[in-house]
Amino acid sequence: MKRMISRRFMVATSMILCYALLVLGRHTTRTLGSEESPPPSFEKDILPILAKHCHDCHGGDRQEAKLDLRTLSTLVRGDPGSSLLVDILERGQMPPGKKNKLSPAELLRIRDWVKAGAHAKEKLVALPPRGQVSDKDRLFWSFQPPRKPRVPVVKSADRVRTPVDAFLLARLESKGMTFSAEADRHTLIRRAYFDLVGLPPSPKAVRAFLDDGRKDAYERLIDELLASSHYGERWGRHWLDAAGYVDNRLFDGDLATIYPNDGIWRYRDYVVRAFNEDKPYDRFLIEQLAGDELVDWRRAAKFTTETLDLLSATGYLRSVEDHTSEPQYGIDKRYDVLFGVMETFSTSVLGLTMDCCRCHNHKYDPLPQRDYYRLMACFEPAFNVFAWKRPQERFLADVAPLERATIDQQNAQLDKQVSALQALLKVADKAKDVAGIADLKTRMGMLQAKRRSYGKVQALWDVGRPPASRLMRRGNVNAPGVLIQPGFPEILQPAGTTPFKAASAAGDSSGRRLALARWLTRSDHPLTARVLVNRVWHHHFGRGIVATLGNFGRSGSLPTHPELLDWLAVDFAENGWSIKRLHRQIMSSSAYRQSSRRPPAEAKTSVGERIDPDNSLLWRMNLRRLEAEVIRDSILTISGTLDRQMGGPPVELTTPVDGASEVKTSATGSQRRSIYLFARRVYPLKFLEIFDAPIMPVNCTQRSSSATVLQSLTLLNSEFLFAQSERLASRVLSTAGMKLRAQVRESFQAALSRPPRDAELSRCDGFLADQTRTYAADNKTREQAIRRALADLCHMLVSTNEFLYVE
Amino acid sequence: MSDMPLSRRELLRTFGNGFGTLALAGLLEQAGLLGKESVTTRPSSRPLASRPGHLTAKAKAVIQLFQNGGPSQMDLFDPKPELSKRHGQPHPEQVETFQLGNRNVLMGSPFRFAKHGQAGMELSELLPQLASVADDLCLVRSMHTENNNHPFAINMMQAGKTFFGRPAMGSWIGYALGTENQDLPAYIVLRDPAGYNTSGRMVWSSGWLPAVYQGTEFSATGTPVLHLRPSRPRPREAQARSQDLLSQLNAMHLEEHPRESELEARVQNFELAARMQLSATDVLDLSRESSATRTLYGLNNPATAGYGARCLMARRLVESGVRFVQVFPPLSPSFQPWDNHGNLRDGLKTICGHVDQPSAALLRDLKQRGLLDDVIVMWTGEFGRLPITEGADGRDHNRHAFSLLMAGGGFKGGCIHGSTDDFGYRALENRVSVHDLHATILHQLGIDHTRLSFLHNGRPERLTDPEVTGARIVHELLA
Repeated sequence: MKRMISRRFMVATSMILCYALLVLGRHTTRTLGSEESPPPSFEKDILPILAKHCHDCHGGDRQEAKLDLRTLSTLVRGDPGSSLLVDILERGQMPPGKKNKLSPAELLRIRDWVKAGAHAKEKLVALPPRGQVSDKDRLFWSFQPPRKPRVPVVKSADRVRTPVDAFLLARLESKGMTFSAEADRHTLIRRAYFDLVGLPPSPKAVRAFLDDGRKDAYERLIDELLASSHYGERWGRHWLDAAGYVDNRLFDGDLATIYPNDGIWRYRDYVVRAFNEDKPYDRFLIEQLAGDELVDWRRAAKFTTETLDLLSATGYLRSVEDHTSEPQYGIDKRYDVLFGVMETFSTSVLGLTMDCCRCHNHKYDPLPQRDYYRLMACFEPAFNVFAWKRPQERFLADVAPLERATIDQQNAQLDKQVSALQALLKVADKAKDVAGIADLKTRMGMLQAKRRSYGKVQALWDVGRPPASRLMRRGNVNAPGVLIQPGFPEILQPAGTTPFKAASAAGDSSGRRLALARWLTRSDHPLTARVLVNRVWHHHFGRGIVATLGNFGRSGSLPTHPELLDWLAVDFAENGWSIKRLHRQIMSSSAYRQSSRRPPAEAKTSVGERIDPDNSLLWRMNLRRLEAEVIRDSILTISGTLDRQMGGPPVELTTPVDGASEVKTSATGSQRRSIYLFARRVYPLKFLEIFDAPIMPVNCTQRSSSATVLQSLTLLNSEFLFAQSERLASRVLSTAGMKLRAQVRESFQAALSRPPRDAELSRCDGFLADQTRTYAADNKTREQAIRRALADLCHMLVSTNEFLYVE
Repeated sequence: MSDMPLSRRELLRTFGNGFGTLALAGLLEQAGLLGKESVTTRPSSRPLASRPGHLTAKAKAVIQLFQNGGPSQMDLFDPKPELSKRHGQPHPEQVETFQLGNRNVLMGSPFRFAKHGQAGMELSELLPQLASVADDLCLVRSMHTENNNHPFAINMMQAGKTFFGRPAMGSWIGYALGTENQDLPAYIVLRDPAGYNTSGRMVWSSGWLPAVYQGTEFSATGTPVLHLRPSRPRPREAQARSQDLLSQLNAMHLEEHPRESELEARVQNFELAARMQLSATDVLDLSRESSATRTLYGLNNPATAGYGARCLMARRLVESGVRFVQVFPPLSPSFQPWDNHGNLRDGLKTICGHVDQPSAALLRDLKQRGLLDDVIVMWTGEFGRLPITEGADGRDHNRHAFSLLMAGGGFKGGCIHGSTDDFGYRALENRVSVHDLHATILHQLGIDHTRLSFLHNGRPERLTDPEVTGARIVHELLA
C-alpha cells in the first residue's frame, strides 16, 4: 500500500514540478557550465528522494501543512539558501520521525540541483519517460504477455477432445473431480443453435441431427451453424453491446422524440458481416479504430465497397453519447465525448477500467493519470475539441467527397432551373393556360427526377490539425495541466520501449489511431487476445475465465484457469485471430458438451456440490437464460413468422405514452430479428428491455440476467405472446391435425425441440380436452375451442423455464 | 416429523399440483411456518425479502415528490428583500447562466412572502397549503449541486453523479433493505399517465444493481402495471388451468434441475405475478377512500385531481409496505413543469396550483394516520433558479443554490436550515450537498452510507461515494 501511494504521488508531483519548471523556465536564464561536475539530474537523482521521503504527505492528493508541490513556493531556482524546501530538509524539520531522514548525500544532491537551476530533462512531456511503473507492478498476471503453457496430461485422457479439456480436467482431477456425463443430443443441438445463431433448431433439423450416425455429426453441426448468416447476427449483437451501439444520437431522454443517427446502421451491418466472414480479430480492431486511415478516401474518385466498409467500421466509436448538438454547451461537453470514447474503448477492448485515471492515478492498477491522457491523445485528432464537429455534422456521404461535390453542384443547378420554372408556373396559373401548366409540370418533374442523392455513413476521421493534448487536473477540463504526447499505457509495454510513433496513414490523417490499433494487435500484447477469448468463453459457458469481462486489472476477478486463458489467447493470435476457429475449439470440447444437471437431491453430497458449488471449475455445464433478443427471435421462429431479411436501416418502434413500445406494424420488417430493430439508448423495445436488453448511456460489457415479476407478467399476459402462440397453434394444427396427442407432441417439438415425456403427454392431453370443453361452453365453435386450447398450451410451453434457459 | 418444518419441495409433493401451492409456501414462509432450508440460501432467490440495515432505523419508507425543472427558490422558499430592492439593477458579478443571451439584470420576486407556523417559516403566497403545515416541514435553503442542466442535475439528485448509468437512490434503498410487502415491488414510480418527465425511465434505473431493484411504473389510470392483465381475456377457469399447467411444467423441470436458485426465483415470480393482479389493483383502488380524504387531496378539482391521485396512491403504497415511492409532477404546462425560463408569474402559479394542495394533503393524511413518523417525504427539484431575469419574465437554471422540503421520518418539523446570499444566487451558510442529503436519508432508514456498497466491475461502488464527495450526515435536520 505504502509503495503504491508513493508511486502515485511521485507521478503527480513529478509532473507538476516539471510543468511548473517548464513555465518558469521561460523567464529564467540558465547558468550553464558554472559547475565542475554535471549537476544532479531531476529524474535520476532527485525524484527518487522526493518519492521516498516526501510525496506521501505533500503530493498532489494530500497536502499536509498546505504544502503543495504543485507550486514552486518552496524553491528558488539557483538559490538553495532562499529555498524553503532545502531549508526544511537541511534543518531536519522534515521528514518527521527518526527513521525517515535524508542522508547527507541526499541533502547535498538536492542543494546542488537547486543551485544548478532546478532543471528537469523532458521538454514537451514534462515527465520522466519511465519510472511510473515499477518492476513489481509488472508482475501482475494480466500485465505480462501471455505465454503458451504446455498442455497438461490428465488421467481421464478419454475425455480430452481438445486442449481445453486437458486444462480443465487437470484442475478438476487435482480436487478429485471430473466432468459430468455428456448431454443428450436434444440438449446439444439446442445449446449449439442458441450459442451460435441465437435461434432454436427446427424439428426437422433436430430429427436430422438425431439420425446422423456419422462419427463427426456434432462437428458437422457446428460447422453448419458457423456457416449460417444468422451466426453474424448472434455474435454481432454481443459485440454491439461492448461497443454501445445505438441508432439514435443525443441522450434519448424523451420517449416521444427520436433523433436518428442516420446511417449508423452501416456499422451494425459491417459488424454482422465481419463475424460472418470470420474477419481476423486483429484486422477487425484495426478497421474499427482506424479504417479511415487505411485508405485515402478523401481523394478517391469513387468509393469502392471496401472503402465504404472501412469507413463504416469506424462507426465503432460513433455511438458515444454526445450532447454538443445543443448550442448552450461549451468545450466541457466535447471532452465528455472523448471521455466516453475512452470508456468504451478501454472496457470493450483493453479490459481495463481506465475511467478512474481521468482524475487521478488508478487506485488499484499501475495506470498513472498521464497514461489516460496519452491514450486519449490518440483519439483527439478525430474528436478535435478545437475543430469540433457536432454529431449531426459528423457524417460522411456514402459516395466519395469529389462525387458528393459534383452531386451537390448538379442538384443546386437543377433546383435553380426548377425554381425558374416555378415562376413561370405562377404566370401560367394566373393566365389559366392549361396546356402551359401541364407542360411546365412535366418539365419540372423531369428535372426533379434528375436529382441525385446519397446516404450517410457515421464515420470517424481526423478533423483539422491534431490539437495539443493536455492532462486535465483532477479530470477537470477547465483546469488543463501539462502537455501530453500520444502514447500507450506504460504497464502494457515492455520496459524500455521507444516512445510513440504515429503510423503512416493513407491520406491526410495523423495516423495516431492506426498506431494505436497496430500496437493493440501485436501478438505479444498482454490484453487484447486474452480479453477477446475470455469474452467468447463467457458467451459459451455463462461466465468468463475472468468473471469481470471489462476489468482484467487488480480489482477485477482473477482467472479461474490462467493457463487455459493464456493457451487460448496465444493460440488464437498464432492462428490468424480466427473467432470461428475459437468457437470450434471450445464447442468441440468435452467440457462444453457436458450435461448441466446437478446431481439429484439425494446425492447432495456429490463431490462437485461439496467442493465447488458455484461450478467455477466447470464440472458441469452452466444453465443460462436466453438473452432478450434470443427470446423474441425464438418465439418468432417457432411461430413461423420470423422475417430473415438481413441488414439495412433499422425497423421503427412506436412511442406510446405508457412506454410500452412495440415494433411499428406498419413498418416493413416488423417480424425481423431484434438486432435490426431501432436500437434506442434509453427506450429499447419494451419487450427487450424487460428481459435485460441494456440501456446504453455507456457501453455494456456484461449484461445482467434478471428474473423479475414483470418478465412473468409479460410472458403470461402480453399481446405479443398471445398473438405468437396463436400462430404457433395454427402451425401445429396444420401438421398434427385434430388428434390431441399429436398436437401435444408437435407443440413440444416446436417449442422445446424434444418430444414430451409420458407424464407430460398425458397431463397436456388432459389439459387440451378440459380447455376445449371450457371454451366450447363459452359459446365457441368446436374448431375455435380447439384452436384456443392449443394456443394456450403453446403459450404456456413458451413461458416455461425450459424454454427460457439453455441447458 | 410433525415438528419438522416442511420443505418447499415436500410441500409440492404433498399437496400435488395446484398453482396456489407455491404461493402458499411463500405465505407460510413469511409466517415463519416453513423451513427455509429448501429455499436456496443465496439472497438472489429472495432479493426483496425485508431485512434490517446497519443501524436502528428511524424511518421505514420514502415518498419522493420530485419537482423536475428546477423550482424557483426566491419565488417559493427563500425570500430576498434585497433582490426586490435592487430589481432592474445589474448583478454585481457575472452569474453563471445556462441559456445563451441572458442579461445580467436582477429580478425581484413578484410574489409576497409571509411567516407561517410556530417557527415563522417564510413561504410564498403560491404555496398556501404547504404553508399551513409549516411546522411539519424541514426547509433546507442551502442546497447546491454540480450541473446546471436538467438531465445531469436530475441524475445527480437521483443517483449521486452527474453522469448516467448508476443506480437510483430508490434502487439502492431496495437493495439495502428489501421491502415489507412481498406482493408488490420495492420501488414504485407514479407518473402522469400522459407521458414521461425529463430523462424518463433513466430516473428510476437500477444501473448495474440487479434489475429487480429498478423502479416499477404503476399507472394511475387504466391497468396499474404493464401486462398485469391478459391482453386477451379468457374465462377464469381457462386462465387458471393454463397457469396450473405452467406451474406444473416448471415444477417438473425444477425436479430435474434441483437447487437452481434462478429457476426457483422464476417460479416464485409467477406466483407473485398472480398475487399482484389482486394486490396492485386493490392498493391503487382510490374508491375505497372516504370522500373527506378524496377532497383533502383535491380529487374533486380538475387542477389537482391528477397529482392528488398520485399522492394518495403514494400513501396507500407506503401504507402497504412499499419501500420507496417516487411521484412525478404533471406534464402540463411542460414535461419539466418547474422550468420557468419565461412567463414565471403565470407558469409558477399554474404548477403550484397543481401540486401545492396534494403535497400538503399527503403530509396531513400521513400524520393523521400516524404514518409520518415512519415515512420520509422529500419535496425537491434538481436545482434552483437565478436571481437575474431571462427575457422579460423568466429565470434560468442555477446549480449554486436551491431549496427543498423534507418531512417525517425523523426530520425536524419547523426547521429552517442554511441560507443563501442577498440575491439567492449562492448557498452560503450550512451548505448541503446532494450527497449530504443522500447520506442523511439513508441514515434515517438505518443504512450507513459509507457501508452500503455494491461490487461493480471489481470496485465497491456507493451511492454517496464518500471519499470523493465528503458526504456527511446533516444532523441539524434531524429531530
